Amino acid sequence: MTRTQLFCRRSIRGGAAALALAFAAACGGNPPPAAPGAGADPFPGSPSGTTSTVPPPPVDPATPPPVPIEPDLITADPYVDMTVDEVNENSPLKPVFFTYDSDELDDQARQALNDNAEVLRTYANWVITIEGHCDERGTPEYNLALGDRRALAAKTYLQSLGISASRLHTVSYGKEFPFDPGHTESAWQANRRAHLVLTAK
Amino acid sequence: MTAPRYVTAIGILAAGGVLLAAPAVVSPLEHPGPVAPLAGPQDQQQRVWIFELTNPTRRPRIGMPDFVAPSGDAELREMATAVAEVLWADLDFEQEFYMIPREESASIPSAPTAATIPLERWSQIGADFVVLGVLERAGDAVSVRLQLVPVRAESNQGGQQFGYKYGPCRTQAPRACAHAIADHMHKELRNLDGVAQTQIAFVSDRDSERVRTRPIPNSGTAKEIYIADYDGANQRPVTANRSLTFGPAWSPDARTLAYMLWEPGLPETIVLNTLDGRPARRLLPEDGYGNQLPAWSPDGTRLAFASNRSGNTDVWVVNRDGSGLRQLTNHPASDTSPTWAPSGLQIAFVSDRSGGTQIYLVNADGTGLQKLTSDPGDHDRPTWSPLGFIAYTSGAALGHNISLYEVDTGRISVLTDGLGDNGSPSVSPNGRHIAFKTTRWGREQIGIINRRGQNLKRITTVGTNHSPSWSRQR
Repeated sequence: MTRTQLFCRRSIRGGAAALALAFAAACGGNPPPAAPGAGADPFPGSPSGTTSTVPPPPVDPATPPPVPIEPDLITADPYVDMTVDEVNENSPLKPVFFTYDSDELDDQARQALNDNAEVLRTYANWVITIEGHCDERGTPEYNLALGDRRALAAKTYLQSLGISASRLHTVSYGKEFPFDPGHTESAWQANRRAHLVLTAK
Repeated sequence: MTAPRYVTAIGILAAGGVLLAAPAVVSPLEHPGPVAPLAGPQDQQQRVWIFELTNPTRRPRIGMPDFVAPSGDAELREMATAVAEVLWADLDFEQEFYMIPREESASIPSAPTAATIPLERWSQIGADFVVLGVLERAGDAVSVRLQLVPVRAESNQGGQQFGYKYGPCRTQAPRACAHAIADHMHKELRNLDGVAQTQIAFVSDRDSERVRTRPIPNSGTAKEIYIADYDGANQRPVTANRSLTFGPAWSPDARTLAYMLWEPGLPETIVLNTLDGRPARRLLPEDGYGNQLPAWSPDGTRLAFASNRSGNTDVWVVNRDGSGLRQLTNHPASDTSPTWAPSGLQIAFVSDRSGGTQIYLVNADGTGLQKLTSDPGDHDRPTWSPLGFIAYTSGAALGHNISLYEVDTGRISVLTDGLGDNGSPSVSPNGRHIAFKTTRWGREQIGIINRRGQNLKRITTVGTNHSPSWSRQR
């Protein structure tokens, strides 16, 4: 599938009309007019073999109004040709952050998981792993258990939104793989998370 | 001076172990074969430990010149030097004797027999005994004749002299030879189970490989299981999974390593590696639950571990073949990091059920829960020493120390000195030494310290290293 075709078939969220117009234009609502002498015979029925030297009448450059693309006509999976690694490089799945020493989901955590559930409903064949991570404080052993709790908290909430448990694996990485190697509160905040990765689709 | 009496009967012990091709595991352990005393004093029952009669407040002072080998045999002479150096360090480690530093005695020549030792020179530097070591070839193998020669007649107080012939040693393995001699000497002379033939397993990222088991761009540096001799020599990898491994735990017979392994898409799991080139096998079937921090029962038949299979982290126990799984603790809080009492009848673990992580005790059948610690700070990774204390990580969020909890009295003392972040203790099989992780030298490294907080030694230098486990002797 060419990049253009892939681009055209991307599902449209929000349904902005201007966006639809742009898609329509790029996707070629009408083919461009043939150039003179391009080989197409503009006058069918003219004597065969003769090449008319009369230029064809100019075609009105204004194209007919494009047909808005309706979102529910676009059902193809834009990730279908991507590998798991490629999906994870530009993942639609959002991390879920926690406060210090906690596995409780606050409002932003729940919102992120709501969005993730939406993604998982859209791509019903996706299987994910929820990684539990911790900041560097506390012992490595304690953080293994805390990471487990964070991953389980995210999994349980996704299940409550109807995602099947068989699609939700959990793993704890404790504090072994920080996302931010710094020693500041902002680094610690970035590391206290449940991180969702695609493992199969 | 009485001449040593050697029994001439020789029992040659079979060399054990074979190097196996190891497609899945890098560098399996080489077993050079047991080295043991081949001949010794005839009258073993009435042997008098020669140090019983000396001043109990003053350790015997032992001098060790280079060991002796035939002059034409350069390879054997090199081995002799290596054996003496390693043996000196092994004896110095336990501090049962005062080992005279070899630089102080470097000018005193080695003698090939007891009768030719320049005792006056040794007496001048304060030696009570001199080690005479003579290496000889016996076919493919090497034997070491070793004798403790008293410097003054009264040093021996009428007891028997210590003299043994050791073997079979190999020229390629002088360290193993010295280690076996050291353990035997400690056992015979001090009734001490030495650690010279033990090993320390630990986690290391020194290979700097990228983790292959996480499908994200910045997957992290792989951490593998490594093994070192107790003195830091012969560091070599056990795993090459290019994943995260953690928490190695030696079985009591030192033939199996349990550890946690992370495989793609799966929760952390416990595997058993028999260190013979065969792939590690899962302890439990794959069931989607995370299992952490294995701890062997003292008889090697069971493992305690932490698992989230009940919905929260609790301590569980299972037979080593995966049968007989049962839940030991049952509380909504996180119960983790178990360690067995030397009796095998109780298990200490960590729980945050009363806020902050404290150490608890429970009987192996799940009854009799008690709380051991209540002092402030977060505690973790308890490990139970046969000398009746529990070492554990204690303290604040960064900058932990190792503390010791005396089981009989409940008294707590701090072992380390507050330099760096210290944790993850593992006690030597004789209970006298603790391996641990520390950042006092920069990155996380493995160190050893004795139970009195002295004699700190650094074991690792390359990469980041942590989570040590100290084996018994095979």
